[in-house]
Amino acid sequence: MNTQQQNGYMLLFRSDEWYNELSYDELQKVVSQNNAWIEELTAEGKAKPGHALQRKGVTVSGENGRVVSDGPFAESKEVIGGFLVLNVDTLEEAIAIAKSSPSLAYSTSIEVRPLAEECPLDVRARELAREEQLATA
Amino acid sequence: MSTQNQSQNGYMLLFRGTDLRKGLSPEELQKVTDNWMAWFKRLTQEGKAVAGNPLEREGKVVSGKERVVSDGPFAEAKEAIGGYFLLDVATMDEAVAIARECPGLPYGIRVEVRPVAGECPIAADLRAEAQFAQL
Repeated sequence: MNTQQQNGYMLLFRSDEWYNELSYDELQKVVSQNNAWIEELTAEGKAKPGHALQRKGVTVSGENGRVVSDGPFAESKEVIGGFLVLNVDTLEEAIAIAKSSPSLAYSTSIEVRPLAEECPLDVRARELAREEQLATA
Repeated sequence: MSTQNQSQNGYMLLFRGTDLRKGLSPEELQKVTDNWMAWFKRLTQEGKAVAGNPLEREGKVVSGKERVVSDGPFAEAKEAIGGYFLLDVATMDEAVAIARECPGLPYGIRVEVRPVAGECPIAADLRAEAQFAQL
């Protein structure tokens, strides 16, 4: 895998509602640790301001988007609760930052994904076109 | 959803499903891609999309207290996130109307529409609780 990236990385924070199990004091501690973590990354220029997502929403699917189903996605551990875009050059740095997240102490998980320079669909369409040309050459 | 139909902070579209390219000819795939890019460009020009990116297929997952690092894929291909848009629109209805224009929908792509929180919802809960405790 090419680990050199010019486009940055996205951290996707996934969890269930673990914070409902914590006491007020514990929760306050995690929130301030987490805020300090993001502030430091932002101050160092390693992260753009992050966004938390409300734990509700809908999913649109089907041809012409006819099917609209409600979230919420409450119980699932896979629900994305927020994201952070990192301005770092390598996957190793992005993973090191993810590992330093205070929320991991609470059995959450963080997906680390390279931002694509070009849409992978576009790249694949060109590959397929080349393969067809070769096959007919 | 009527009372919760507003978000001051915009909406995020998460595109789920990364196996769309299976079964499409190069021309069809190119058409979907072109339509997708034109769609994003138009939304940007209209001031409705403020950010967006496709994601590379590969990646890693860091999880739990032990900080275990494992390889993607992260979910079944139909659940995996292939990219996102950040929308600057005021209501869920507008966000859903935009989601319905996604050129990937006829090919099994699903679009998750999520209100962006002004601050971490956990911090907001904490503040509400602190206010309640003072009463």
